[in-house]
Amino acid sequence: MSGEAIGARRARARTAVLQMLIVLLIVGTPLAMTRFYEFDSPLWRALMGHRRVDPETLHLQGEFVENNLGTAREADGSYTLRMIAQQYMFVPHCVRIPAGVPVHLRLTSADGAHALTIVGLDFLLKAAPTSVTQATLRIAHAGVFPMPCAEFCGPGHLAMNARLEVVPAERFQNLQPTDRVNCAVP
Amino acid sequence: MQSCSRVLLLTCFSVLLIAPLMLPGCSPTPSSPRAIGQPPARAPSFVAWKSETVLEASHGDALRGLLLAKRCDHCHGSEGFSANANIPNLAGMERLAFWKEMEDFASGKRNSEVMSSIAAPLTRQDSADLAAYYSMLPTAADPLDRQAFPQAATPAAQSASAGRLIVLGDVGRGIPPCQACHGPVGFKTGAPSLAAQNADYVLRQLRDFASGARANDINMPMRSIAGLLTEEERQALAGYYGSGLGRLPASAVLPK
Ligand code: HEC
Ligand code: HEC
Ligand SMILES: [Cu+2]
Repeated sequence: MSGEAIGARRARARTAVLQMLIVLLIVGTPLAMTRFYEFDSPLWRALMGHRRVDPETLHLQGEFVENNLGTAREADGSYTLRMIAQQYMFVPHCVRIPAGVPVHLRLTSADGAHALTIVGLDFLLKAAPTSVTQATLRIAHAGVFPMPCAEFCGPGHLAMNARLEVVPAERFQNLQPTDRVNCAVP
Repeated sequence: MQSCSRVLLLTCFSVLLIAPLMLPGCSPTPSSPRAIGQPPARAPSFVAWKSETVLEASHGDALRGLLLAKRCDHCHGSEGFSANANIPNLAGMERLAFWKEMEDFASGKRNSEVMSSIAAPLTRQDSADLAAYYSMLPTAADPLDRQAFPQAATPAAQSASAGRLIVLGDVGRGIPPCQACHGPVGFKTGAPSLAAQNADYVLRQLRDFASGARANDINMPMRSIAGLLTEEERQALAGYYGSGLGRLPASAVLPK
């Protein structure tokens, strides 16, 4: 075989390999993205500006310790509601917020993937271990809404159902900076 | 050279193609608005299920555990079945659950005068060894042994209502089925099997979780669940487990 033919063959082989890699990239990346919520590497976090929350130590440190869960009033008059999703419940399992005011819901997961939805409202917030997801709620009318989990998370998934009580803003208790409120027992 | 530039072009295209796919997934984690005003953390337990802790708690030496367990016999029974329905059976208890309870007794996160003074001088390794030993004891009690388990059968109606909670939970109130965390269907890390547990003990734990007297469950699953249960349901569940029904598939007691 002439050197030229070998060279041409090599070039073809190289192109084929490169094209295969590209196809892999095109197909593989969206697939990897569906696993996005489990995706956790220091580089990715740095790129995305994520701060890692450690799912095993939520109860020991950070903003998801149990006495910081529930509704808090910020200095600017807005509200923050913190919840944890875990197999197979949201905690606090009953939360209370004022109507007509923006409430920033901050959610993380202690184990796998979950999704918090509010029946009757067009609302879904995913929960993922190691990261915090946030959405702003502004519910105009008072009422009681079930909050089921919309991401299959195991044998107890169907009963994973918290409760949201929206009360008129003027009837909502006046919260001091360190107060946290929920309607769960005890 | 030409093929090289074509590849470059293709790569650029694919990157452009993929970029918008990635965007909706990027939920940036906004840093907490503020940390001021956060009350000091109150920890339910100092145990955290990091992988090294799981390893430490589950790799005890059962033979050493057997020797250490001699001083537990007169309360928890020589076979892990106690003679008093108020004292828990330890036979077959999951290692992680066992280890965590010992740590919590020692740190005072779970209140019990007797157990705190017993657990405090033990090392983490001692607890792991004891856990290894007790987890290996058979959960079928020797009928000739002095033991409280199983207790008298509960009325059928009561066990049916307990069976429903154990298998299905209550979707409306948001009570997940007990068997998803306590087995046999699934085990949550640190949740013991209740299949061979005494009724009086189970009932007392459920009441204590509900009132907050026992508050050592990480991320509060049991305080939440026990608080949602009515007193009749707590009694039905305690009776169900205490009478040994928990060792059957729960579907056996569900009404057809
Ligand atoms: C004086 C009696 C007594 C002795 C001795 C005793 N225990 Fe206990 N133990 C109890 C009681 C009572 C409880 C239930 C505590 C409660 O109600 O919170 C208990 C609870 C436990 C639990 C928690 C069980 C569960 O299901 O959550 C473990 C684990 C345990 N004991 C291990 C031990 C070990 C290991 C020893 C020996 C080193 C020991 N105990 C010795 C009385 C005793
Ligand atoms: C979401 C998971 C989950 C569900 C569902 C659940 N439990 Fe538990 N339970 C736990 C965990 C975790 C513990 C261990 C708490 C600790 O760390 O001390 C526990 C502990 C207990 C204990 C104390 C056991 C002991 O030996 O000390 C009892 C009793 C109990 N659960 C009863 C129930 C009953 C009855 C139900 C159903 C109505 C139920 N649990 C549903 C997670 C669960
Ligand atoms: Cu879920």
